[in-house]
Amino acid sequence: MARLNDDAQWIVLMGFLVSFSFFFLALVINQATVVGQTTAESVIEFPKNDIRDVRSIIIRTESDTIQKDVYAISLGRKNAVVYYTFPFTPCYGKYSCTQIHFKSGVTEYDENWTSP
Amino acid sequence: MRSDGGQLYTIEGFAAALIMISTAYLVVNATSVYTAGDTHINDMQLETLGTDALTVMGTPMNTTEYDTANSTLRMILEAPDRDVMFRTKFLELVNSSGTGPKQDIQFVANYTCRIDNSDSTIPPLQPLSSSSRSLTGGEHPVRVTKWVIVNTPCGNETTRDRAVLVEVLLWRD
Repeated sequence: MARLNDDAQWIVLMGFLVSFSFFFLALVINQATVVGQTTAESVIEFPKNDIRDVRSIIIRTESDTIQKDVYAISLGRKNAVVYYTFPFTPCYGKYSCTQIHFKSGVTEYDENWTSP
Repeated sequence: MRSDGGQLYTIEGFAAALIMISTAYLVVNATSVYTAGDTHINDMQLETLGTDALTVMGTPMNTTEYDTANSTLRMILEAPDRDVMFRTKFLELVNSSGTGPKQDIQFVANYTCRIDNSDSTIPPLQPLSSSSRSLTGGEHPVRVTKWVIVNTPCGNETTRDRAVLVEVLLWRD
């Protein structure tokens, strides 16, 4: 049997180390290209305007037909479950309160609203 | 038999070439103004522009009478020629930048109202207005919406106060 030559073990080891470090660097660079995209997407996805809009309708109107409008159209066109208690219940003596619930599948928002 | 003495030099050459190519790629990419990750910023700007325009239209002139005063959007929805009125007002808000050149924003607007006594069915879309171009499918539109309280009939239904959702698809041409 031929004698095995094991002179270059250090070089092979260093080769492994360098290749692993290259691998991790490539992983980091790969992620860096999508950072801006995911940030922008998550800003777009967050329904800030939807919540403010539906909230302004809820606290301005006291009507059971409009409550049904908000339920049905939110679910049908905005893929959001919107619920609020109606009629507004008396609370803290002279105020009226309602609980507003909004859920779009990703973002959930709950508020105990007190009339001014 | 062939000589295999230069194998290490060949591998080194390949490694050096890869490093140089990837460096050149990164440098060229970093200096370009519009990188691949920036494409969604356009959508954000367009969405903000549309939301702001609808908010302006949905705000009454006199905000101290917020419950009773008519907003522009409500007056448009209750008018018989809402198609023309909405197009004029909306394009005035989104498509002009001061006295400068017009932008190239196109839109299609619809609204949804609920048919009475049908809580479970999805409310149908009612056409509202559109710019001169129609949606062909090749565009990349964003959707903005605005709730409005109006006093109108919905289809064949009776006139009553109802909450309708105005939806606008807008894109740059």
